Amino acid sequence: MSTLVYMRMLEQTPTKYDRGMRILTFGCIDRIKREIASTWIEPGQDVLEIGCGTGSLAALMTRRGARVLGIDISENMLAAARSNAPDAEFIHMTATEINKLGEDRFDRIVATLSFSELSEDELDLVLRVSSVLLKRRGKLVVADEVPPSRWWRRVLARLVRWPLASLTFLLTQNTTRALKMYDIRVERAGFRIVHHKVHLLGTLALIVAENTNDS
Amino acid sequence: MFDLLKDFWLLFGRLFPFPTRPGLRKAGNPDRSSPVLVTCNFELTVRKVIQALERDHIDAWVLVAPTKGINVWCAAGGGHFTTDTVVSILKTSGIENLVDHRRIILPQLSAVGVNIWALKDRTGWTPHFGPVDINHLAAYLTGGEYRAERRHRRVEFPLKERFIMGTNLAFNSLVFLIVPFLVASIWVTGLWWKSIALLFLLGVLNSVLVLWLPGNPGVRKGFSLGLLASAVFVVMAQTAWTMEPAATLGWTGWIVLLSTYLGYDMPSWSPLWRADVKELVTGVKHTHVEVVPERCIGCGLCTIVCPASVFELNPEMKISRVVHLEACQACGACIENCPKEAIDNNFRAGVCSCPTCTVINSVKSHKRKDAERNGGETEPVAAAGCCESGDCESGEIECSQHQWIPDNVI
Ligand code: SF4
Ligand code: SF4
Repeated sequence: MSTLVYMRMLEQTPTKYDRGMRILTFGCIDRIKREIASTWIEPGQDVLEIGCGTGSLAALMTRRGARVLGIDISENMLAAARSNAPDAEFIHMTATEINKLGEDRFDRIVATLSFSELSEDELDLVLRVSSVLLKRRGKLVVADEVPPSRWWRRVLARLVRWPLASLTFLLTQNTTRALKMYDIRVERAGFRIVHHKVHLLGTLALIVAENTNDS
Repeated sequence: MFDLLKDFWLLFGRLFPFPTRPGLRKAGNPDRSSPVLVTCNFELTVRKVIQALERDHIDAWVLVAPTKGINVWCAAGGGHFTTDTVVSILKTSGIENLVDHRRIILPQLSAVGVNIWALKDRTGWTPHFGPVDINHLAAYLTGGEYRAERRHRRVEFPLKERFIMGTNLAFNSLVFLIVPFLVASIWVTGLWWKSIALLFLLGVLNSVLVLWLPGNPGVRKGFSLGLLASAVFVVMAQTAWTMEPAATLGWTGWIVLLSTYLGYDMPSWSPLWRADVKELVTGVKHTHVEVVPERCIGCGLCTIVCPASVFELNPEMKISRVVHLEACQACGACIENCPKEAIDNNFRAGVCSCPTCTVINSVKSHKRKDAERNGGETEPVAAAGCCESGDCESGEIECSQHQWIPDNVI
């Protein structure tokens, strides 16, 4: 019995994932994705999406006229992405391998709720390589869970989040972790933050950073 | 104090992820020629690995891979210890600047998730599968040959492990049974705590005695134990405790019921049998694995990765064959790693032996393997094993690593 239940719980499916994220962010993540596609992506741009998941953002970006390359490590997710965003290209690759994609190649690197899946070392490496991959003045667009900056908000966020996260986990077996010290990490990798907006009591942030490295 | 609490938790809560920070660790004083090992980031495993290495005076670099705090086998089965994971830790640890060689030793049980051919293609490092148990690493490293004896490639279920898994079995069953126990206590006073004690006793017995109980693993072994235990109970109740016949009968039934239930869950707590739902009820049967002789090139990798010694290699004939099908646990390691897809199997969306990973292992890994080979933007490269087949000499396929033959074939 216990086995059976645990087995079911840990099964990951793309639909479950999308549903989980929607609940966890009160639907906010969908709004942010639309904002990214309409505000931060221009037609004709080359975009790399790290951790494309089910391809919902890739679909929005291709509709906007961008050329999108999405990477993910889950074959299930990639299959879902290919059917959701037929005009984008998707390959199986870990975030830490993106150096294989070349240099000076992308106008935008986009990651939604995927950087927080990385370990700290992985994140630093990915940020460093991103600045090489991006063209000069290219932008990194990240939407992820962050710890709120004020202490009372942190407490409040914990209180609200805990039951919500448990519920979401029970329903969909998905959860997220907060990205720590993202601003320092992003700047250390050679970016300048040009836009920073928080949602949901400061727990979900959209960060846009410009590449300042001359590669 | 904290360590003590942790150990106590690990006695019951082995199943739950317990992460430690991924990254590079040192055992002893490693230098530029020291071996490089990879392990998971389950706290207990990392601790045990470092302890074992230092005890055996092995200086080594240990790469703690980000496997979501799950142990090696379950993480590999559940898709958290894969080729991608190893690629990632190789890159982030900066190990390539610390050693002059390019050999890494993976835990054997990670073979369920890691495809060494793809790993070599993607990183240039030469992977080797170490022994199952870290305590056999010293023997493995002797002579610099990276060679494990066949018996060190087999997963065992020794008494100590059986005891720990028994406590885990009882503890996790309790999570599901505590409410019925409390409800039943409305009618029978004190039933709940007696039942909990019984549950732990029967859980540990089910696990400790599992190798000797009559019947197939699953409900049958549980039922056998139930009968045995209730026989002992009846004798005690009638002689020492002078219990009333009606109460004795009631408890007897309860013992058989609990023990059967625990028996049903037992295979999934063992590393020897897999936990397929249907088979848990009807008794564990084994799946079918077979080497297709026309495709097999005799690289011997299946004999290395298999934790149940299912295969035997005939070095003269350069061919592997199945000799102990009954021991197969359907872990999928051989299928994941065979360079020629020469292992025919009837794995449905099988579930591996560990309850945390729930893997649709073989089917999924098969697809993943193809994807990984063709990963990135590179054209598919011929697997290194082709050297053995002679395909590359005939110029049919281009071989990227002419020399490499996977591990040391026994
Ligand atoms: S791994 Fe495949 S090719 Fe190699 S010996 Fe086994 S069956 Fe043959
Ligand atoms: S033969 Fe069975 S136990 Fe051995 S590696 Fe293959 S699937 Fe696993």
